[in-house]
Amino acid sequence: MNRTSEELLSRALAGDAAAFGALVRDQQRSVYSLALRMLADRQKAEDLAQEVFLRLYRNLSSVGSVAHLAFWLRKVTANAAIDRLRRDARYEAVPLEEADDLPSGDAANADPLLERRLRQLLQQLPPAPRAVLLLRYQDDLDPTEIARTLNMSINTVKSHLKRSLAMLRESIGETVP
Amino acid sequence: MNEDLDARLRKALRPVDPGEQFTQRVLTRVANEPKRSIPRVSKTTMRWASATLAASLVLGVLAGHEWQARRTQQGLQARRQLLEALRVTRDKLDIAYRAVNDKDGSSTEAGEHRGS
Repeated sequence: MNRTSEELLSRALAGDAAAFGALVRDQQRSVYSLALRMLADRQKAEDLAQEVFLRLYRNLSSVGSVAHLAFWLRKVTANAAIDRLRRDARYEAVPLEEADDLPSGDAANADPLLERRLRQLLQQLPPAPRAVLLLRYQDDLDPTEIARTLNMSINTVKSHLKRSLAMLRESIGETVP
Repeated sequence: MNEDLDARLRKALRPVDPGEQFTQRVLTRVANEPKRSIPRVSKTTMRWASATLAASLVLGVLAGHEWQARRTQQGLQARRQLLEALRVTRDKLDIAYRAVNDKDGSSTEAGEHRGS
């Protein structure tokens, strides 16, 4: 990334708490969003995101660059969320409103009902395909990056994407005229 | 339809910021963490590692010496066996030689007697 972020990382590695705080601010949007859309629960998402940053703090010396930092955070967040969902075995029963947590920045171009419906449908996916879809459409990663992040084969990623999109398309077709 | 769904998903899944309070909460938890130090090998570990390395070296040298001594011993034993075999062969050859000489001597003497 940029020089400032690399400097922040160096300072954080040297024990500068303010620099670590700035790194958290830079990355919290991505980490929290992934946790929120995976778990569909604000409190659980915040807990998980905080845990991820604590783990980052404890393992900061293993992070070599800001690019690696972003990769590390996504990997840890996605895998922690998948583990949590599998442990709780509750990914089918989620409060639908919990997932509806978007900023209203460009509401003029948005179709709130459809977006909400998409987020609801996302919660019906099992953990791994859900993580794949989120990394693709929320973090804009390509299938190769998703495969690396989730430690999956690229064919599995493509298969998850294809099936999930087919399910979404079909479900939207059923609900939106 | 594909592009449409892609665009709709990107809009529906726009990242959400948890807010400034989130950063503060993380930093509070970080402050309660034990001090992070650069991981390094402790003196005790270094001492143990040195002792282990020294012991390994001594054992290696001793094992080498032991192996060398055994090889030398085997060589000497083989040499002794060879010398013994040569000695036995030499004795047998001596006996055979003497027997042949004795026989020749008595034949010559017998011939001389017959001639006279």
